[in-house]
Amino acid sequence: MSEFGSNSENGGRVLSFEREEKCHSAGCLELVVQGKATHYHGPRNVDSLLRAMGENSLYANVRINGDVLDRRDFENVSIKTDDTIDILYFMGGGACST
Amino acid sequence: MFDLTDEEILRYSRHIILSEVGGTGQQKLKEARVLVVGAGGLGSPVLLYLAAAGVGRIGVIEDDVVDVTNLQRQVIHATADVDKPKVHSASETMKQINPLIEVDVYHERLTRDNIFPLLENYDIVVDGVDNFPTRYLINDACVMKKKFLVEGGILRFMGLIMSINGGETACYRCVFEEPPPPGTVPSCAEAGILGAVAGVVGTLQATEVLKIITGVGEPLFNRLLQFDAEGLRFHEVNARRNPKCPVCGENPTITELIEYAYTCETQAPGSS
Repeated sequence: MSEFGSNSENGGRVLSFEREEKCHSAGCLELVVQGKATHYHGPRNVDSLLRAMGENSLYANVRINGDVLDRRDFENVSIKTDDTIDILYFMGGGACST
Repeated sequence: MFDLTDEEILRYSRHIILSEVGGTGQQKLKEARVLVVGAGGLGSPVLLYLAAAGVGRIGVIEDDVVDVTNLQRQVIHATADVDKPKVHSASETMKQINPLIEVDVYHERLTRDNIFPLLENYDIVVDGVDNFPTRYLINDACVMKKKFLVEGGILRFMGLIMSINGGETACYRCVFEEPPPPGTVPSCAEAGILGAVAGVVGTLQATEVLKIITGVGEPLFNRLLQFDAEGLRFHEVNARRNPKCPVCGENPTITELIEYAYTCETQAPGSS
């Protein structure tokens, strides 16, 4: 079970995190997401992180430490403590429902 | 000497009094030529502020007509404009605000075939579209023709802004290399949009245009700004040029314009 230690009261948008958290248990990662310090328990890959945050990986591009990831590779890219993660949303476009 | 009439000096006096703008900056605005793609949620505030600011020639391209569901955010149109072409409704409002400017009206869709001839007449392009095919078409064309582009996007309670100096600074593809898979990202019609969010993002786009023209401050080059209205937060991300970018990278694979397929026939540029 993944747990993402940030404020998700308003729907879990990652832009809305506000609590700074520290890790208190083994296996916890301290990350900087959208410029905010936070912690994460769960499988250490980008796809799992996005799922834990309630994000649909199809909606966003992800950068780790400044590098844009290949969107097809989210399951294979690992994350570690102190990584800086930016979620870049596709906006202002989109397809009609298919 | 400035080629400003007494009427213009009075009208733009709050600009001119800004030492960073002055008569020189206002003269630059008068001589500027800006193309706004879309007269919808983003295009509305962009067009209103550029017209009011005295940008001398403003082009607006959009093939849609005003619908009553647009009026919650597309503030350049009024209830009486429903069913009118948006370009005509927008042009009328702009001329009412400022009869001293020229407005070029293009009641058509921006396509691979008409974009290059259009760009020849303008220095800066503002993206106010609501579909990915046109968004990527505009980016690629502005990189190829070395035009300034002010990107903007909105969805639900979020917005995105990025300024691009085509071929010089990071472009949209440096960050978003390819469009998302069809059907994965909802449109505003499907997911909704808080009307004022369009106003925030469009007004920031207009601000960027005015800065680029006048040379005031630091445009949002090589940076991407995301806006979250729910938390009232801005998140800035550095967006350096990507050497692997398919259009402005070291070995570009896109050397001719691509027009991605629309996934539904009813979607039109500028319906944001």
